[in-house]
Amino acid sequence: MLLRRLVLGAFASSAMILSVAGAAAAQTVPPDAAKAFITSAGQQLVAVVNSNASDDQKADQLRQLVDQIVAVDQVGDYVLGRYATVATPEQHQQYLGLFHQLLSYNITYQIKAYQGVTFTVNGTSQMGNDTIVDTTITRPGQPAADVGWAVEEVGGSPKIVDVIVAGTSLRVTERNDYASVVADNGGQVSALLNAMQGQIQRIKNNG
Amino acid sequence: MEAWVKFNQVTRAGSGGLRRILAAIAPGLLLTGLLAGCATAPPPSDTANYQAYEQQNDPLEPTNRVFYAINDKIDRYAFKPVAQGYVDITTVGIRNHVGDFITNIAEPGRLVNFMFSGKPRDAGTSLVRFVVNSTVGIGGIFDPATALGYPETDTDFGLTLAEWGVPEGPYLYLPVFGPSGARDVTSLPVEFFLTPTEAAPESEALNIFGYSETALRLVNTRAQYIGPIDQIQATALDPYATFRSLYRQVRASQVTLINQRDVPTQPDWFPAPAK
Repeated sequence: MLLRRLVLGAFASSAMILSVAGAAAAQTVPPDAAKAFITSAGQQLVAVVNSNASDDQKADQLRQLVDQIVAVDQVGDYVLGRYATVATPEQHQQYLGLFHQLLSYNITYQIKAYQGVTFTVNGTSQMGNDTIVDTTITRPGQPAADVGWAVEEVGGSPKIVDVIVAGTSLRVTERNDYASVVADNGGQVSALLNAMQGQIQRIKNNG
Repeated sequence: MEAWVKFNQVTRAGSGGLRRILAAIAPGLLLTGLLAGCATAPPPSDTANYQAYEQQNDPLEPTNRVFYAINDKIDRYAFKPVAQGYVDITTVGIRNHVGDFITNIAEPGRLVNFMFSGKPRDAGTSLVRFVVNSTVGIGGIFDPATALGYPETDTDFGLTLAEWGVPEGPYLYLPVFGPSGARDVTSLPVEFFLTPTEAAPESEALNIFGYSETALRLVNTRAQYIGPIDQIQATALDPYATFRSLYRQVRASQVTLINQRDVPTQPDWFPAPAK
């Protein structure tokens, strides 16, 4: 009886380990594939930014492109962090919608600053499930900047999940920014949603 | 993204009289801040909020935010306009050479800190950089040492303490100096003595050099980060929290870089170990 339990237990746990390992492996993108993905995504981004289209047209094109190459929902959930369990399903839905909008505005805010941008893809490294693709970004009148792109497999295809500049992670910084708003308002996720709406309104008024 | 941290380090490492004044008033202002107010911790039963409070490690947040607002005003009305004017009249090349010159002057300070933190490889790199850049690099205006395989690795006394195992401690936002922490604030008095001009005998010419170098250092570094700082202030929901997060991440990555670069290698002439 005891032997049977042991065998069954061992079988069940090994099956679990295999399935977890399988899930983890499925999310990791091989270095060459990640490099190819970032090269292609970067070329598309540079083509949009340096095109002769109007700023509004470029903003639209960038929004579409970002939705294709960035795992926006996953990044949004990471940024919400521990407050994802506090938020109601409606708040969570509203948050993701606002997160998409703010990301678009933050990208379009930088279009002019990145006119004339070029980039080169360097090596790759592994950090947990993420494959980090190192690039050097050059802008006219600015010193070259080393930027790392964290790539993960999301929904069966490689997607960008983080940007790393000088040892700082964009999603960690955003998470701390958002957490501060919630914590300063007694842990209310509604305060974060109000702040995000306020920010969007400010950008619209200034734009 | 290490904009504010760099800018803070620059203000910290100013020269001559200005530094003396700032170093003298900083403890007083800090004490005033400590007495002014502390953040109220949420009860541990409020799990998500309590975890956030612990992670922020910023018990003096209300006071820190007051100083942040003051520094922000000083920056908006003094540093930034001057830096913008400086960008208008200089080229990237000139600004890079000024940056190289400033970096070179601080190299002996790094050498001492690396020695104290037991990083012989990094200390050697600092020494080679200072010798090569001060001579071949014409007083540090050029940086041939990087091309020779000796890139800059930044450090200060706060990072030396980190190497000794001292934790970062609560976050501090200092008047004028900017982001810091209970551990990193100790850099202020130490950095004070670690520039070559401090070791030289007092003279009028040296004072003038000290003031000019500090001013140039502030303006050149602020100019370098006009874009990133503007971007954070325009896009962050809470710029104070964003700078706090960036400060901590940059400090952690500086420790990682110091350790990564201090890898002992076996020279060619060294005999192979006996088997």
